[in-house]
Amino acid sequence: MRMTQRHSLSIIDDPRILGLLLIAPAMLAILGVVLLPMFNSLWLSFQQHDLSRPQEDAFIWFRNYADLLRDPRYLNSLQATLKFSLFSVIIELALGVAIAMVLNQEFRGRGFVRGLMILPWAMPSIVNAAMWKWIYNADYGALNALLSQLHIISEYKIWLAEPTTAMVLIILANVWKETPFTVILTLAALQTIPDDLYEASRVDGATDWQSFIKITLPLIMPVLMVAGLLQFIWGFQTFELISIVTGGGPFSSTEMTNLRVYATTFRSLRFGYGAAMAYLTSLIIFIPAVAYIRSAYRKVVEI
Amino acid sequence: MKRSSLYLFVSSLLVLSFMMASCAPAAAPTTEVNQVPAADATQPAVEATQPAAESETITVIFPKHEADLNGAFEARIREFENQSGIKVELIQSDWDSVANRILPEISTGGSAYDVVEFDNGWVAEWCGAGWATPLNDFMPAGYTDGMIPGLVDLFSCPDNKVYGVVWNNDTRFFYYNAEKLAAAGFTEAPKTWDEFAQMSLNAKEKGVVSYGMAPFWNQEWSLGNEFHFWTYAFGGEIVDAKGCFLFNKDPNTLVALQYMMDSLTDGVSNPAGMTYNQAASQDVFLKGDSLFMPQGIAGLMAYTKDASVSNVDGQIKVGLVPGVEAGKSAALTLPEAYAIPSNSEHKEAAWKFIEFMTSRETNKVLAQEIGVLPIWVDLYSDADLTAKYPFWADFQAQLSTARGLSKLTWYGDFVDISTAEVHKALAGEQTAQQALDNMAAGLSQFECKP
Repeated sequence: MRMTQRHSLSIIDDPRILGLLLIAPAMLAILGVVLLPMFNSLWLSFQQHDLSRPQEDAFIWFRNYADLLRDPRYLNSLQATLKFSLFSVIIELALGVAIAMVLNQEFRGRGFVRGLMILPWAMPSIVNAAMWKWIYNADYGALNALLSQLHIISEYKIWLAEPTTAMVLIILANVWKETPFTVILTLAALQTIPDDLYEASRVDGATDWQSFIKITLPLIMPVLMVAGLLQFIWGFQTFELISIVTGGGPFSSTEMTNLRVYATTFRSLRFGYGAAMAYLTSLIIFIPAVAYIRSAYRKVVEI
Repeated sequence: MKRSSLYLFVSSLLVLSFMMASCAPAAAPTTEVNQVPAADATQPAVEATQPAAESETITVIFPKHEADLNGAFEARIREFENQSGIKVELIQSDWDSVANRILPEISTGGSAYDVVEFDNGWVAEWCGAGWATPLNDFMPAGYTDGMIPGLVDLFSCPDNKVYGVVWNNDTRFFYYNAEKLAAAGFTEAPKTWDEFAQMSLNAKEKGVVSYGMAPFWNQEWSLGNEFHFWTYAFGGEIVDAKGCFLFNKDPNTLVALQYMMDSLTDGVSNPAGMTYNQAASQDVFLKGDSLFMPQGIAGLMAYTKDASVSNVDGQIKVGLVPGVEAGKSAALTLPEAYAIPSNSEHKEAAWKFIEFMTSRETNKVLAQEIGVLPIWVDLYSDADLTAKYPFWADFQAQLSTARGLSKLTWYGDFVDISTAEVHKALAGEQTAQQALDNMAAGLSQFECKP
């Protein structure tokens, strides 16, 4: 009896076993709310599971995936999402760094301006989307009124009726909301760069541009990489903005993969096909993201 | 060691409590469907809401009625609580949000809701999947006698049972700005679509309005409604009773789509309508910037009196939807019903709720308070209501021509594909025939599946 008690106590005292026991509740929760749904939806993606036609349910292996690769709406949405995410990231990074450089300078009211910067990012996505919907309204929108009063346009434009303009405008709306995130991260990174480096470069006769290229940029690069990657992933996740401002139109030119997954799963109730769509999209983001992180990490280590 | 034991004890307790919570049995249904006795047909419907012996709570979810600005529906629901003793957890929101909550819940076998919104676009899907409870098991014999027959049929499944009772008779009507039409030189509403186009262009030429109409043709769910409306208005067909395609073969459907396209290029329709939803389209009409609202909601007249959104008080009249030739008319009805999910655990209480909320008495109160269009035929000749809403006489003529959306188990796919192709045609990126052919190609896997 005593032997058994001693044996069990020694197990508890083993920090590795105790650690495992202590993380068990968290692991169970993760298993229940993350891993099981993930595996379940992966399993679902190999099936025809149309909720409104249960009699046709069947295990169909990779047919959903094969169909997706021939589905023009899905391929079009992938192209639109890539365009949206890439251009958003490029503009957000360029603007973010520029604004952060300005906010890193000493000037009166800097704290206030920094606080103001975060407002768009803090705004709920749904409110942001509704606001831009009204700004771009063809008859009563602020954009038309502004450009008309500045005599840039002679008559009101239907901004969201033309595919290229619609895409540009939703990218701008996204940039407006997401840029503050890059600004905050970049600003934090800029404040870690010692002034000595700039002083040394000035002594060596470097111009401001050269200092930026040779000192600032390399030192904030790890942060920019993280910001860029996150913004790219968030670009793929954008839903409210597109759903409210364009609804995916005109004629599906701004229809992102998220909208396709939503329409397929929750409007057409084709859960199997929708799950395959979600998995394929995730895979498409995942592979370049991993490749990018690996190569970028190597560069940072070299620096 | 003591601390380690304590940690272990706490975490074990936590795991145990999680396990116990997840193993807890679900609450037993209060009544089995087949055990519910049919109520006595001779009893007035509203009397069925006798106070329950014990307090029961039901969860009800449906969209907010567009005319319900001051909580008229909620006031009726609280009255139901007082009369029946049944508590109601009410969830109201816009249609999309409600749909987004109901469809995943009901399609995955959830039992969170006891009374749900049942849109007429969902009927075939729900019938096929068995998501709703047949209400014939609860309703007295002859209960639907006296309701507008079309509304009852729309929520019946192929087994001839009724699965939903309409709470919102959302039939659409043709409104026109009589004052502006007179300024353009016309004393009567158009009877044909040719007249409609001619009047629009004349009014535009005289500077009375910018466009004849501002349609809601944004690429979204309601464009599917619009496609139905214009098809019906031109005498076209979308599918037959077996779900076989007619839209790509019926010449009238082709003419309807061509008319929609031409209206944009000829200047009859505001091209901004390509980006408008229904609210934006109505907004333009209420501001007096368009002459016609071919598919306006029944409560539009109430909005015209609201100076915060309208400049057209006293100018708007109701006419019949024009036809290809005079005397032919068609309208779209988009009724919404209450249904009881098949997994509801409070079906009897849910039925009492439906019975109360759709009774003649409640229907009349809501009609008086916010102008809800009745589902009971005799209320259209009710003295109180006709005195308050004289334009309902015009509605009555249209009601007999109203048709619902196509009943298809693949209606979601139909909307998804048709809105994209129709929108592309409206933008001038393809011909009307190409759009209809592309729709047929995109939906080919569903052909002849009802």
